[in-house]
Amino acid sequence: MPFIGNKPSAVPLTSADITDGIITNADISSTAGITLNKLSGNPSFRNIVINGDMQIAQRNTSVASITTSGYRTVDRFTTLILGLGTWTQSQSTDVPSGYGFTSSLKMDCTTANASPSASDFLMFRQIFEGQNLQYLKKGTANAVSLTLSFWVKSTKTGTFIAELFDNNSRGICASYTVSTTNTWEFKTITFAGDTSGTISNTNGTGLTLNFWLGAGSNFTSGTLNTTWASSINANRAVGQVNIADSTANDWFITGVQLEAGTSATDFEFLPFDVNLNRCFRYYHFLGGESAYQNVNTVAWFGTGDCVGHFRFPVTMRTAPAVSKTGNWATLGGSGTAGVSLGIDQNTTKNCQLGATGGSGGTGGQASTLRANNDTSYRLTFDAEM
Amino acid sequence: MQYKLVKNKPNQIMYINGNWHGIIPFEPANRHYQEYLKWLEEGNTPLPANEENN
Repeated sequence: MPFIGNKPSAVPLTSADITDGIITNADISSTAGITLNKLSGNPSFRNIVINGDMQIAQRNTSVASITTSGYRTVDRFTTLILGLGTWTQSQSTDVPSGYGFTSSLKMDCTTANASPSASDFLMFRQIFEGQNLQYLKKGTANAVSLTLSFWVKSTKTGTFIAELFDNNSRGICASYTVSTTNTWEFKTITFAGDTSGTISNTNGTGLTLNFWLGAGSNFTSGTLNTTWASSINANRAVGQVNIADSTANDWFITGVQLEAGTSATDFEFLPFDVNLNRCFRYYHFLGGESAYQNVNTVAWFGTGDCVGHFRFPVTMRTAPAVSKTGNWATLGGSGTAGVSLGIDQNTTKNCQLGATGGSGGTGGQASTLRANNDTSYRLTFDAEM
Repeated sequence: MQYKLVKNKPNQIMYINGNWHGIIPFEPANRHYQEYLKWLEEGNTPLPANEENN
């Protein structure tokens, strides 16, 4: 704002002063207070995808001979497969250079299927809780667009399909092209907001992100569904190449980000511990860090059964399935733990955990339940979607 | 994969998969419980609980 004479002591800025480009360089005082609720957008935790940089792989870092669906390596991502080849899935250090990534997910075809049956499919997937997605305003006139960005490297070039799928069987697809074989490429796709349908405000499925990697004619024989609509299988993967057609094929992905808005921002790197704790909500385990890794303190309430309290590291999505493999035993007390899990009062926060089927215990005595000289021992808590 | 009832625990089921065994709570949002319900719908029946323990 121009002035004549003495400089006014205070000149209020207007929005025009900012938008017309007058201010080209400015410092904010180090003592200035900034009201965070005046900042628009969702700068922190804007990535709906958890573990999009493939940093966390609690279950395994490599699994071979995959022919069935399931969670195998990197946390929160599952592979859906029917008929399309045999795979080794691994957490890889092959990453796009210079962008800060340290890990990717690798799919390595070890048995090919170049002629898929009509019902065959292969896809890489993450499912998101509905209660985390209410700000997308799905089903209203203000429904928010979503932008997906990721790095991909594939031996097989050509057309690939990315898909969003809600919990009411509505979906939208988009194609992208891998142009150069075995070369990292950055892709962005913007999906329009969905002014119909709903996302349940629960811990159940709200939205699913699918990366198609191969599909039989049941999923390719129609016209690709590029607007939100009730999903029809024939329209879901039209044009999708088949990465299972040769054992020479590898497929890598990292930097997966899904965010509100119509443009992709830089990948949101989270500290390792934050990333890990977010994954704990869906899966965590005990074991493997020492031969006698402790589980909990238990008390015997009979000759063969002992029980104690086990607190989860974070509140889990739902009361988890609890499973055990390997050997455990008790230290102290007079009994030996049995081979079976004893679980009760299983909630999202904790459970009553012990062993049944042991012998020699004395009611009222306490023991430490621990791995029995077994680094392969695992006690897992699974609340994945 | 096999399922087995748990003695005195009407709200959970044990699953056995090779060396793995686990306890599934009857919690609708738990995917393992959903898989168990699907397994029942296919006409399968879980093994009875052990008399003494599990």
